[in-house]
Amino acid sequence: MWARHIRAVMMRELRSYFASPIAYVAMTMFALISGFFFTNMTVYYVRQATQADQQIASVGQSPLQLDVPTTILSEFFKNEAFILLLVIPLLTMGLVTDERRKGTLELLLTSPLRPIELTLGKFLGAMALFGIMLLPTLPFYAFLAQGGAWEPRVVFTGYLGLLLVAAASISLGLFISSLCENVLVSAFATYGVLIALNFIDTSASAARSIWVDFIQYLSFFHHHVEFSRGVIALRDLAYFGSFVVLGLFLTQRSIESVRYKRG
Amino acid sequence: MIRVENLTKRFGRHVAVDNLTFTVEPGEVLGFLGPNGAGKTTTMRMVTGYSPPTAGRITIDGLDLLRNPIAIKRRIGYLPENPPLYPELTVRRYLEFVADIKDVPREKRAGQIAQAITRANLDEVSGKRIGTLSKGFRQRVGLAQAIVHEPPVLILDEPTSSLDPKQRVEVRDLIVALRGRHTVLLSTHILPEVSQIADRVVIINRGKVMAVDTPANLSKRVQGGELVVVDVAGATPGDLRALLLQTRGVTEVSATQSNGIVTARVEADAESDVRAEIAAAVAARGWRLHGLRTEALSLEEVFLKLTQEEK
Repeated sequence: MWARHIRAVMMRELRSYFASPIAYVAMTMFALISGFFFTNMTVYYVRQATQADQQIASVGQSPLQLDVPTTILSEFFKNEAFILLLVIPLLTMGLVTDERRKGTLELLLTSPLRPIELTLGKFLGAMALFGIMLLPTLPFYAFLAQGGAWEPRVVFTGYLGLLLVAAASISLGLFISSLCENVLVSAFATYGVLIALNFIDTSASAARSIWVDFIQYLSFFHHHVEFSRGVIALRDLAYFGSFVVLGLFLTQRSIESVRYKRG
Repeated sequence: MIRVENLTKRFGRHVAVDNLTFTVEPGEVLGFLGPNGAGKTTTMRMVTGYSPPTAGRITIDGLDLLRNPIAIKRRIGYLPENPPLYPELTVRRYLEFVADIKDVPREKRAGQIAQAITRANLDEVSGKRIGTLSKGFRQRVGLAQAIVHEPPVLILDEPTSSLDPKQRVEVRDLIVALRGRHTVLLSTHILPEVSQIADRVVIINRGKVMAVDTPANLSKRVQGGELVVVDVAGATPGDLRALLLQTRGVTEVSATQSNGIVTARVEADAESDVRAEIAAAVAARGWRLHGLRTEALSLEEVFLKLTQEEK
C-alpha cells in the first residue's frame, strides 16, 4: 500500500500545481532568470577569453587563466542555487497549509494513509515539479557542447547538487507549511529561513574561533559549492541527506499533531 | 457496529464531550441531534479517528480504534461538515484519488467509482471540475467520496446544513437510499429532518446525552413538537389561562401580557387540533382574538422539556 498511497498523493499534488498559476509562474521565472544568467556569463567569459588571446598574441603571455566551460558551469550552478531559493517557497507554501484551509486534511487523516506516506508523497510531488523546471536549462549544455569541451562531469555533479539543495529546501518548506494556517506566512517564513541558511557563511568570516567552522557547516552554499566545481564529497551528501530526513520527520510529526488541535 | 463508551474530550479546561456512551446497531441509521456547539462534530471526529479522545473507548466492528486505526479507517466513510474537496480536480479524478488512499482494490476501482457516481447522482457532472459545481452538487461529491470504498460505516456531519431547501431534499433522499447498505451515524440540528431519516435519535447538549429514543417516541414526548399561540385583547392572563385549560385536549398554558394584549402559549395532545375550539371559546366570552397560530418547538424548548422530564 505504501507505494500506491505515496504515488496517489504525489500525482494529486502535481495535478493541483498545474491547475493553478503558481507552477507556470515559478517555471517561467526560473527559466527566464536561468537563461539570463547563462547568457551574461557566457558573454563575459568569451570576452575574457578573447582578451587573453589578444594578450598572448601581442605580449606572448596573459595573466588570465581561463577554462571557459568549467568556469561558466561552476558560476552557473552557483547562480541556479540562488534562483532556486526564490522559487522553492512558492512551491511549498501551500503543501500542507492548503489542505488545512480546505478541510481536506480531515479526509487524508481519516483515510488509511499514514502521515509519513502523506509527507513523502507531497515531498516527491514538489521534487517532481522542480525536476520539470530544470528541463528548460538542458539546451544550455548543448550550446556549450557545440564549442567542444563541455565537461559532462561538472554538468552531472552540478545537477546533483541542485537537486540536493532543492530537496533540502523543499523539506524545510514542507515542514514550515505544516505549521502555518496562512500561505503567505508559510511562504515568507520559508524565504526567511532559506535566505539565512544560504548566506550564513558570509557572516562566518566575521566570527572568530571554533564558531567559524560550525556556522560554515550549516550553510547550504558551503556544501553546494563543491558540487558546482565537479566534486562529490561525502560530507556534503551527508549534510543534505540528514537535512532532508530531519525535515520530513518533523513534517510527519507536525501533521500528526494537527489532530490534537481544536476546531 | 459502533460502540462508544465513556467518551470524553477536553480542550484545555473546556469539556467538549462529557462521558458519552451510545451504540449504533448494524444497518441502523442513528441521528445525532443537538444545537451548535453541543459536541456533535467533536464526537464524530473522534469516532473517525481524526481527533484522539481524552478518555473513553471506541470500537467499530469489534475493533478497538486505538489499536487498529488503519483497519478501522478502511471501514469508515466520512463526510465532514464542509465537504473535503479539491476544487481544481474533476469529480472523476477526485474519486480516483480517494479510492487510491482508501485502499480500494485496483481491479475494482473503476467499477466502484462508477457506482459511487451513479448513487450520488453525479453522472452529468463527472467530467467537470469540482470548483465549477453548485453547492448541492459539491455536497453530493462529498457523499460520493464517503461511499466510494463501500464502507460498512458511514459518518455524516450535518450533511444538509448549508444547502437550500431543494438541494436539502435531494441530499436527504440520497441518504435515505443508503439505508440498509451501511450503518449510518448522522448529525443534524434540524428536528423534523432527523425524524425522516433516522431509526433512532441521540440528543446531546453540552457534550452530554440528554435522551436516546426513536423519533416517534421523542415526538410524543415533546407533543408533536408544536404549540398553539393565542393573542387576545380584553382578557386578563389569569382568565385566559383558566378558559383555555377547560378546552378539550389542552394540557398546559402559560400566559403573558404586554400592551393590553394577552399572549398564551398552549400545549395540547399530539392528536387533537385545538385551534377551532380555542377560537370559539374566546369569541363566546366576548374577547377579541388578535392572533392564532402554531409554532414549532425550537430545539432549545425540546431540550428544556426533555431535561425537565428527566428531573
